[in-house]
Amino acid sequence: MSKNFFEKAVDWGRRKSPWIIHFNAGACNGCDIEVVDALTPRYDVERLGLLQQGTPRHADVLVCTGAVTLQTKDRLKQIYEQMPEPKFVLAVGTCACSGGIFDGCYCVNGGIDSVIPVDAYIPGCAARPEAIIDAVVKLLTALEQSQKATE
Amino acid sequence: MLTALFHIVIFPGLLFLGVYALFFAFLDRKLYARLQNRVGPPWFQPFADFCKLIGKETIIPEGADRRVFVSLPVFALAAVTAAFIYVPVWSITHPLYSFEGDLIVVLYLLTIPTLCFFLGGWYSTSLYATIGAVRALTQLFSYEVPLFMALLAPAILAGTWSIAGISAYYAAHPLYILINIPAFVVAMVACQGKLERVPFDLPEAETEIVSGTFVEYSGRLLAIFKMAIDCELVVVAALISAIFLPFYAANPCLGFLLFVVKTLIILVLLCLFRASMARVRIEQMVMFCWKILTPLAIIQIIVNLLVRGSLA
Repeated sequence: MSKNFFEKAVDWGRRKSPWIIHFNAGACNGCDIEVVDALTPRYDVERLGLLQQGTPRHADVLVCTGAVTLQTKDRLKQIYEQMPEPKFVLAVGTCACSGGIFDGCYCVNGGIDSVIPVDAYIPGCAARPEAIIDAVVKLLTALEQSQKATE
Repeated sequence: MLTALFHIVIFPGLLFLGVYALFFAFLDRKLYARLQNRVGPPWFQPFADFCKLIGKETIIPEGADRRVFVSLPVFALAAVTAAFIYVPVWSITHPLYSFEGDLIVVLYLLTIPTLCFFLGGWYSTSLYATIGAVRALTQLFSYEVPLFMALLAPAILAGTWSIAGISAYYAAHPLYILINIPAFVVAMVACQGKLERVPFDLPEAETEIVSGTFVEYSGRLLAIFKMAIDCELVVVAALISAIFLPFYAANPCLGFLLFVVKTLIILVLLCLFRASMARVRIEQMVMFCWKILTPLAIIQIIVNLLVRGSLA
């Protein structure tokens, strides 16, 4: 089934305008600083149409850092469920990918993907801003391919 | 009937205003980025944002009144579009629809979006949205008075309450524009509050109350709200340029070009304001508006009355 003009326009909009929300699931703050760094004028992510939003209702991409602790597990789920469809999740940093050095700790549930589905993983301790921007671009490219596949 | 429909829906109504507003939003963001030494978004960015939001899921909070929640964005956009019909676009000698007193009508129509933001925040039944809503209303009571007085002062001197009439009067007497410079400054500062831009973006202050009144809005409804805000920027810029920059051309095409240039000048000034200032606190904002802007506007009205008296 081929898509009509409006569906194509929406698809195009989704690729060109990823709005993010940043959530700390229990990180040491190293990756959070790198995420904030990636949002500074020096890296200028608005080139890609990326904007930081305050509320999950406006966001398309949930940028998560850190291993999920038992305390933040329900909150992370809540934030994810508050986001309107379609939504994507980026796991920033080694802890977010797998739990990192905190894996197996008494208060840690595991990586982000132990609670919510993750679309892109960014390893690194801490992940560099360039790596974060690269991950966003790769996420959008993958999105474009999947959109083309369903056309 | 058909021409009226054409004017309302296509030009200079909804379609033209929408496209022009998105173009304005891009220029605003690009200029803002350049002032921060960034590259900034590509030209299609606001269009992409709009398309994306249209295609997103729309969530209506459980506690919210469904009908009111859904209709408020539409009301806001409709009011702004209606206001634009009365602002002269291509000619001030033959305006599209004009009557004695349309300045007042436009000002009141421009108040409706702010009330929609307030009600939208209030009906969202979210704590952040409620705080944002209350701030929007508090702000309304502070900037509205100086803004109205600043826009009415030139009308007093011109002796007419129609926007086209005011433009025509100042086009005939260009030197009188200089008398209105304080009113122009007051209007430019006060309209930052109306448009909820830095330094008066308290209702949506995303770093303190997430995004204030719009916290619960998503998808299509948010797209319409954003569109209403972008359109409001165009309408306010057009209104200010019609009253304070009344240069005009007899040829409709040239007149339209002049309209674009004038609104762009206003946009650049508004963007400079936005880029060079930080957000103030709500009580600072109220203090500033009532203690500095309002007296300035009152002085302007007195001066204009005196000038008019001495001319008569």
